Amino acid sequence: MSPKLPDGKAGQLVLMSAPWLFFIALIVLWELVCRIFELPAYVLPAPSAITAAFFEVEMSRWFTHLWATLRVALMGFAVSIAIALPIAIAMMRSELLNRTLYPLLVVIQSTPVVAVAPLIIVLMGSDDPSRVLITCLLTFFPLVVSTATGINETPPELIELSRSLDAPTRRETWQIRIPYAIPHIFSGLRVAITLAIIGAVVAEFVAAEEGLGYFIQFSTSFFRIPQAFAGLFFLAVVSLLLFKSVQWAQQLFFPWSLPKKKR
Amino acid sequence: MTSPATNRSFVRLSGVGHRYDPDPQVPPAVTAIDLDIRRHEFVAVVGPSGCGKSTLLRMISGLLTPSEGEVSVFGKQVDGPRDDIGIVFQKPTLLPWLTVRKNVLFPLKHKFGRYSQQDEKRADDLLAMAGLASFAGKMPDELSGGMQQRVGIVRALLLNPDILLMDEPFSALDAMTREQIGFDLLKIWEDNPKTVLFITHSIAEAVLLADRVLVMSKRPGTILEVLDVDLPRPRTSHTISEPRFGQLTERLRKHIYEPEAA
Repeated sequence: MSPKLPDGKAGQLVLMSAPWLFFIALIVLWELVCRIFELPAYVLPAPSAITAAFFEVEMSRWFTHLWATLRVALMGFAVSIAIALPIAIAMMRSELLNRTLYPLLVVIQSTPVVAVAPLIIVLMGSDDPSRVLITCLLTFFPLVVSTATGINETPPELIELSRSLDAPTRRETWQIRIPYAIPHIFSGLRVAITLAIIGAVVAEFVAAEEGLGYFIQFSTSFFRIPQAFAGLFFLAVVSLLLFKSVQWAQQLFFPWSLPKKKR
Repeated sequence: MTSPATNRSFVRLSGVGHRYDPDPQVPPAVTAIDLDIRRHEFVAVVGPSGCGKSTLLRMISGLLTPSEGEVSVFGKQVDGPRDDIGIVFQKPTLLPWLTVRKNVLFPLKHKFGRYSQQDEKRADDLLAMAGLASFAGKMPDELSGGMQQRVGIVRALLLNPDILLMDEPFSALDAMTREQIGFDLLKIWEDNPKTVLFITHSIAEAVLLADRVLVMSKRPGTILEVLDVDLPRPRTSHTISEPRFGQLTERLRKHIYEPEAA
């Protein structure tokens, strides 16, 4: 049985505002708990203190840090797409390649990136390329897997149609298989974009002079806990916006790939 | 254009069979099929599930090479996919990212990478013939199941194939839509005559549409019986109430349910 939804216009309004009201209620509760129990800021800063800390930091500093993190995350994301899609297509075309590469991909995926990150920094230096590589290591696998899954789910009738037309394999890939994989590719992209932010932050934790991850670590080490929380919320909002952007891109460019009510 | 000899037998299968499993203990999917189909003849194939009807269809299309015997079309052996064959599948299998018109044009786009304005006009004419003119710009999921399957048929007709192979094309549709689309198909076929091989589970549908009905046996699939349907054309909903229609379906039922007695 599906959960019962309220009917009518008023019901719709309740449904639309419910997550926001809940969120606001949580913040209010948090503020109250901090004030009533007089929790010190280094244990749990109140939302009001976090907001104040946010505005104490100059906007230009926020943007410097934001840009540093965003730059690495987006470059890692882009490089990951550029590598993952061709590899997924190649693996779909050749069983030999599939068998050769897949175990390696699983090994890369199961190695904790946090543990490898310091080694990469030592090997490649603490510049953008090493941070982008760390981001790629995180985002790459879900993209390959979702693309490969999508490509393999093409209805066999369409492959038969292609074969009966004696069309070149190149067109079978581009006109049938890849478009069929679009919904899967986008679910991979949604996972990958949030992982890209995580990758960039991990890289900053290891070695960096700027970035939101660096800012949080730096603030924590100076016991500026409200400021660290402000950085954390900023990061969460950015991450959410990126996630939403991937959804918007899908709605804008591939509306057919979404269920009807989500277009 | 056609010599009388090839006109009599357009598609010829001699001793055709196929086994998927090389183990001789396992019976072949299809065996010892001899069949001549005349040009522009409408042949229906009925038989139990898993009797190799689809295997038969794939061997004629060239998608599958028979492991015994030979298939020839127009006197020439079939040794690979042929572009003079249109296939209609059980599901419409339209591409969800293309409009109805572009779906119809897809075989050209896919085979040659492009199509001309004339081709677009042909697509529109075919859609109009199938009663879908006003849906040309719609996306497939805006159409009902029956309309989608009509688009599938129109797509198969785009390259003006000589042979139309239909693999249980209406089995996913509800009974009323199914009867209507059967008559639509007959009308399309009367306007552009094709050699049709039509696979179905429905005895009534086979008798209503076809010139000849082949009854296939259980695995290993082979032709048990060939029934000539001598009902007059054009066939309409009145055909179903004719006594001859009842006699023919009854005879087919006997062949299928008690092959020894028939």
